[in-house]
Amino acid sequence: MNIPRYLGVFAVLVVGTILTYYAATVDLDFIFPGANTLVALLIAFTKMTCVMLFFMHVYWSPRLIWLSAVASFFWLAIMFAYTMQDYLTRDIGVFMQ
Amino acid sequence: MSAHSETEKFHYHEPGLQHQFEDMQQQEESVSIGMWMFLVQEIMFFGGLFTAYLVYRSRYPMAFAAGSNHLDAFWGGLNTLVLIVSSLTMALTVFYAQKNNRNMQVLMIVLTMFFGAVFLGVKAIEYTDKFDHGLVPVAGWNKRVPAHAGESHAAVKPCWEVDHNAPAEEHPNPRGEFQFTDCSLVKQAQDGNYLTAAERVGYFSNGQIDGNKFRDKVRIFYYLYFVMTGLHALHMVIGLGLMTWLLITAWRGRYNEDYYMPIEMSGLYWHFVDIVWIFLFPLLYLLGRHFMH
Repeated sequence: MNIPRYLGVFAVLVVGTILTYYAATVDLDFIFPGANTLVALLIAFTKMTCVMLFFMHVYWSPRLIWLSAVASFFWLAIMFAYTMQDYLTRDIGVFMQ
Repeated sequence: MSAHSETEKFHYHEPGLQHQFEDMQQQEESVSIGMWMFLVQEIMFFGGLFTAYLVYRSRYPMAFAAGSNHLDAFWGGLNTLVLIVSSLTMALTVFYAQKNNRNMQVLMIVLTMFFGAVFLGVKAIEYTDKFDHGLVPVAGWNKRVPAHAGESHAAVKPCWEVDHNAPAEEHPNPRGEFQFTDCSLVKQAQDGNYLTAAERVGYFSNGQIDGNKFRDKVRIFYYLYFVMTGLHALHMVIGLGLMTWLLITAWRGRYNEDYYMPIEMSGLYWHFVDIVWIFLFPLLYLLGRHFMH
């Protein structure tokens, strides 16, 4: 890594932040409800990937570091998915009323 | 005595190498994996809060949007930029340690601390604003605004017609309770027919919008806001502590191209805290912006 590259990553992060704000002010619900949140999260994931790969040097790290980073999001996804599988199905099905 | 000197003579240690490691590479990889294991646990720690956020937002999206629209996106966005700059200076601290440049290391650490402090200052401004407007979700922890005798406009109007920009006297808060009187988004969602099943139960009494029931759902948003940003701010304070230690050791010239792991590891922590904020900003400050017209 050299300084121009660090500044390049920084520029991507700043543009991402401005884009996040701008995208939030436009009503995207005509695409599908919640499209705004999806766009916001996609930008956030892109920013996070930039920070992790270049600022946290994961790109040049051993495979074990890559595995740890990816696994943490895998466990997080399990927590979200199994929790929501309960909450999103509470008002439907044989147990309702 | 002589045998000991013999081993000393032939067993060369690099200056930064701890005796339990074979060489610098093994030491650096061990240190890294230890730090990453800690960060993975931090992700799960914040993940629990994000799960709570996910559950309640999926049930009461309008309460979350209404609550979010009373946060100031300017301060939130400014803080995002401040943290990104501090992440850059942190990354450059590592860069200059690898280049044996002590003065630039010290300068970059000072800049990182400065931007970290700016972040906390902005948070203090925001928390004060919430305190003044009765948005702290704990009864008695808000500013007390005495009620004027014979005046209660806010109570008479239906909650979806309350003017939230009205002067403070129209929102008396003698006991410093959590107050949220604007349910116009519920009205909007009811007219547009996009309330969730939980909302149709959670905001209404006898078919009418119930301002008190709605306020309590907004209160959930503000609980999550304060716990998530509060824990994040706590991480920033701990980060500033780490930076102070780095500043002292870097000032003494402790770090060079052969030994800079303390800077690299503190950097990982600092960037992690930045990443948490990258998610908190859109999820707390911007989620209801597109409903504002």
